[in-house]
Amino acid sequence: MNGRGSLMARGVELSFPVRGGGTLPVLGGIDLAVPGGGIVALIGPNGCGKSTLLRVAAGLLTPSAGVMALDGAPIPGPDPRIGLVFQEPRLLPWRSAAANITYPLELAGWSAERQRERLEQLTELVDIDRSVVVNRPAELSGGTRQRVALARALALEPEVLLLDEPFSALDALSRERFDLELLHLWERAATTILLVTHSIAEAIFVADRIVVMSARPGRIVADIAVPLSRPRSIADLDEGVVSRTAREVRRHLGEAGDPSDEASLAAAS
Amino acid sequence: MRQSSIVPILAALAGFLLLWQAVVVISGFPPFILPAPIAVLNRFVTAWADGTIGPHLATTLLEVTLGFAVGAGFALIAGYALARSAFVERLLSPYLVAAQATPILALAPLIALWFGPGLVGKVVICALIVFFPVAIATMVGIRSVDARLLELGRSLRATRRQILTTLEIPAALPSILGGIRVGVTLAVVGAIVGEWAGAERGLGVLINLARGSLFDIPLMFATLLLISFVGIALYLAVVLVERRVVGAR
Ligand SMILES: Nc1ncnc2c1ncn2[C@@H]1O[C@H](COP(=O)(O)OP(=O)(O)OP(=O)(O)O)[C@@H](O)[C@H]1O
Ligand SMILES: [Mg+2]
Repeated sequence: MNGRGSLMARGVELSFPVRGGGTLPVLGGIDLAVPGGGIVALIGPNGCGKSTLLRVAAGLLTPSAGVMALDGAPIPGPDPRIGLVFQEPRLLPWRSAAANITYPLELAGWSAERQRERLEQLTELVDIDRSVVVNRPAELSGGTRQRVALARALALEPEVLLLDEPFSALDALSRERFDLELLHLWERAATTILLVTHSIAEAIFVADRIVVMSARPGRIVADIAVPLSRPRSIADLDEGVVSRTAREVRRHLGEAGDPSDEASLAAAS
Repeated sequence: MRQSSIVPILAALAGFLLLWQAVVVISGFPPFILPAPIAVLNRFVTAWADGTIGPHLATTLLEVTLGFAVGAGFALIAGYALARSAFVERLLSPYLVAAQATPILALAPLIALWFGPGLVGKVVICALIVFFPVAIATMVGIRSVDARLLELGRSLRATRRQILTTLEIPAALPSILGGIRVGVTLAVVGAIVGEWAGAERGLGVLINLARGSLFDIPLMFATLLLISFVGIALYLAVVLVERRVVGAR
């Protein structure tokens, strides 16, 4: 399946200016292809540039070398075909959940009535309880806040969904449920998904391929196919292939070198 | 306002009046030095009824309203520019601070000289005194807008105008309203100072009349209290607006 919404990074490099002079190279030549409609998980040590890579893909940062392309065309800036869920929900605290979800529609100039219809669809798609959409973010549970952020990213029907550790704030059980729901959502919305995660289990459960990034400056050090058929269920995580895949990912992560990641890896095994 | 917030206000008022009465009784000051609360209230009622106060109050309210609107209007624009442009900040802040450090009392006669005894001079003084707190509060508020929310706006391709109306203003509003609270009470001070420096009508003029040619100390007290009530009423009005737009968060 190489439909619309294919993402391609070729030799993407990026450095940040450092206070007091000099630069910090964060992305050290990233080559990555996410086929249209596919799910790729991106895993790597803290601070290796995963969020930065997603920002480049979202058109928020311009690479200093190389290109990031959507369906073969370079991404010059933010694009409605790409939806981004940030590492934290990043909701507007003074707006209700509903008004947060429809915020992109409002900016795009949709009529109030169309916004309402789309809101209905979106709350259903990400399974948000109707009764809480009038609440402000501060009055929502962490999981609901993530759902709101996800619904907002889906509002303009993007072809590509960039997810930056969307479920990392949730407990292990909720997380499994969210992962499952994400797969259902993916089947219905037919988007390409690039998912940043620290959980090997999550990566295996959700993705077609797991891409491992090295410590900064980030580079792709491994690209591992997940030998699980779809549709998947939580029970699949007990298969032998899973532990073999997990071991391989961990080996590459070990080479990528990051002690701070040990805890989450242990939790994933 | 809720019942529970009215009660302490009334209690504080009653306490103040009691203390005042006690000082009058204990000290034995004559009424032309310290009149009793009831005498002041009586004087207020008669002065209001015979039309002594009305025109003065109307004049002062007009000066305060116009002066506040002009001062706060410029302050919002300047505060935004100060927050978003390092160049503007470097250019303007010395003047801003210098203007604030110069006592308005010292400037008032000069402004009266330039603009005459009419409305314009008072509006200028009110605007000057309102400008600083509102401009600073706006600058601080706009600066403190979460950069991550601005990035969200950018990722959704918000226009400059949309960023302003949907992100910067709502996020900075609590801070701006804090500045407006201060500004609105200072506007009353500005009007009175302006009237002292030369005017035909206004509560400041009435105080001068009561102290001078009329030598009507109860009337002077009544006017003083009226001025503080104007300040309190304006302040509460801002608080009410604040509750409506910010309190719901
Ligand atoms: N705007 C910025 N300016 C300067 N340096 C930055 C900026 N954004 C990120 N960095 C630096 O770039 C590096 C990579 O950051 P990034 O957020 O992409 O890491 P990450 O892989 O997402 O980490 P984590 O797993 O902790 O989320 C970090 O060292 C970070 O300090
Ligand atoms: Mg990150």
